Amino acid sequence: MAESICRALRDGALEGEHAPALTIKDSIDAPLGFDVFAHVLAQLSSHILAGKSQSRGLVLVAFTRSPSFYVDLLKERGLEVNSSRKWIQILDCYSDPHGWKDRIMGQGKVDDATKEASGVSRLCKDVKDMDKLCSLAIELGKGLLGEGKGRFSFALDSVNEMLRYASVHSVARVLSDLRSHDLASCVFWLLHSDLLEDKVAAVFDYMSSMVASLESAIRASNGLRISLENLSLTEQNFRRAKFSIRFKRRNGRVRLMSEEVSIERSGITFSSVSTDGGTMGGSLLPKVQFNLQLSEKEQMDRAKVVLPFEHQGNGEPIEIYDGRRSLADKNNEAAGTMQMKDSSKVCLHCWCCYRITDVASNYSNGGIS
Amino acid sequence: MATPKTRASSFSRNVPSTAAPQVPGVKSGPNGTLFLSSGISDLDKILGGGFPLGSLVVVMEDPEAPHHMLLLRNFMSQGLVLNQPLLYASPAKDPRGFLGTLPSPVSSKDDKPLNRDSEQEKGLRIAWQYKKYFGENQQNSNSQRDNKFEFCNEFDLRKPLQRQFLSGQRVECMSTQDSPDLAALHDRCATFLKQFFRTDGNISGAGRIAIQSFCAPQCTYFDKEWHVLSFIRSLRSMIRSSNAVVILSFPPSLLSPSFSKRLQHMADTLLSVRAIPDEDKDLAKLLTGYQDMIGLLSVHKVARINTQVPIILEAATFSIKLQKRKFLVLECLNQAPVDGSSGTSYATSGSCSVSSKGGSLDF
Repeated sequence: MAESICRALRDGALEGEHAPALTIKDSIDAPLGFDVFAHVLAQLSSHILAGKSQSRGLVLVAFTRSPSFYVDLLKERGLEVNSSRKWIQILDCYSDPHGWKDRIMGQGKVDDATKEASGVSRLCKDVKDMDKLCSLAIELGKGLLGEGKGRFSFALDSVNEMLRYASVHSVARVLSDLRSHDLASCVFWLLHSDLLEDKVAAVFDYMSSMVASLESAIRASNGLRISLENLSLTEQNFRRAKFSIRFKRRNGRVRLMSEEVSIERSGITFSSVSTDGGTMGGSLLPKVQFNLQLSEKEQMDRAKVVLPFEHQGNGEPIEIYDGRRSLADKNNEAAGTMQMKDSSKVCLHCWCCYRITDVASNYSNGGIS
Repeated sequence: MATPKTRASSFSRNVPSTAAPQVPGVKSGPNGTLFLSSGISDLDKILGGGFPLGSLVVVMEDPEAPHHMLLLRNFMSQGLVLNQPLLYASPAKDPRGFLGTLPSPVSSKDDKPLNRDSEQEKGLRIAWQYKKYFGENQQNSNSQRDNKFEFCNEFDLRKPLQRQFLSGQRVECMSTQDSPDLAALHDRCATFLKQFFRTDGNISGAGRIAIQSFCAPQCTYFDKEWHVLSFIRSLRSMIRSSNAVVILSFPPSLLSPSFSKRLQHMADTLLSVRAIPDEDKDLAKLLTGYQDMIGLLSVHKVARINTQVPIILEAATFSIKLQKRKFLVLECLNQAPVDGSSGTSYATSGSCSVSSKGGSLDF
């Protein structure tokens, strides 16, 4: 449930523990990751402004969108950025990540930010140096707190962008430093899983305490991405997706939840979907299959079974198979083959029945003696 | 024939088990091996005595659960309680912080959660042929109980270890985060293991090394998989010639599959921990005691030194439970009672017998 994620982020970290960390994962089949990220950001910001959350401020490290975009986004939701109390700082890694514009334009300022945004944003000119980025973010957070006590949260726009500039272990170092910092309340980031190798995506799952992944709600029947038939399906993927969350709880268990998310003009909505129970449990244990419900055919066959020896209590004389063909058996053969054919139809996975019918038909045709 | 012997089969080396070994905390076992306790008595029993001296124990972590920390904590606490020096390495910046989470041993004997009741077995009438095997087990468990506090303690996970055990000389800590090629860790291990160099005489003491979350993603050597493997290889060779046990935990999902497999092959004892889903109705129906379970432990490989005879375990997967939220126990997975009428298979064999009766063939 999206609310439980937002609640977990709002409640923040306990004393002596690492801050909760959320990964929002999406892929090309369900490209709604940024919408979910924006939703979580807005929810946390409203909690911060209302004073309900553990964190008193938020540091947003923006790689894929400009600070003014975020300011407008928050304004749309009624969250004023430049209020009396400083509650948000944006570390701008979007406008000039390598410092090239600064060098080219010289003294002229890089003017991407609107007036509003420039009040809360700080430009980072060298994103390749992850350590410096991390310390800048922490410094911004401490600046938010000012003299008072408290903690602050971190939001990272896109881990994929970070991985463009630095190696996996430096990005992982940044995340673990942010998480383990004494003043961190919570950390969350966005990730596009199909742009990464499985190993690298697993790293970010390892480092987070909650993993929210978006999958396509509709599965295409064949492997083709875009064709005339499933064009409408692909279009639907831009609006709806299945949202599943894995919480790593403190007692060492994993909580699985699942919802449906849809994006409309009015905004993003989460609706619960009926789950079919935990599928994880079955894979952990050796498969033991007891099919206790017999189908009708199987029940009929069970009735036809002649029990050996003393259980043939149906009034007929007890037939004991002694391994030889006798006159009585020849008479029964005609009836027997017909019965056999029925049973061989049912018992398809028992190869001996096939053999019997083959050979029996040879017998009745007077073949093999 | 009731005299218990140490030979379990004709394939084992006939080394007479000496009286109590000179060093507390080290138990002698069959085939001339010496064992250190893992800190969890159930695990010692499963592994046939404990961790053999000179072996490498590898624990495969589950990225979703911190159960490997429970194993490491018990291992480290056990060593400290028995005055065995410890070297601890972790990717955190300040590894000493972890020492504050080590559990303290349970003080009174009455508080033991499990009772080994071998007395009840005496009431069983065991056929004469099997008595010799049972006698050996009973003797082992009896002697284990007497020496219990010298070898393996029960730990209360809610109480932290007393300060006196954490004094400077006995515990060394190291952070593996900044080491670019593990040379620093290698040298530290080498100097630590020099104190326990194995000679033919009696052992003077035993040591423990615990390496947590080896190949964690924030470490600088994370991508250098060949360096990692050569470190493990040289660690193994150092360990073989010393009286110490190394326990190492790593997340297999973060390494490429071939390297993860190679690392697993290098282990003498290989364990893995897995998380279980929370509030899973299917699992609750399948297993008894699901409410108390916090995870699963699987034993993939058990170290066998000085012998060719493998240990064949009755069960490879155990559930990790916290009894009274304090004591760590491992239990076999017990399937909840299921309505056991195997209707389908009966019908199948039924139709077979029909056909064989109707026809005139015999197989």
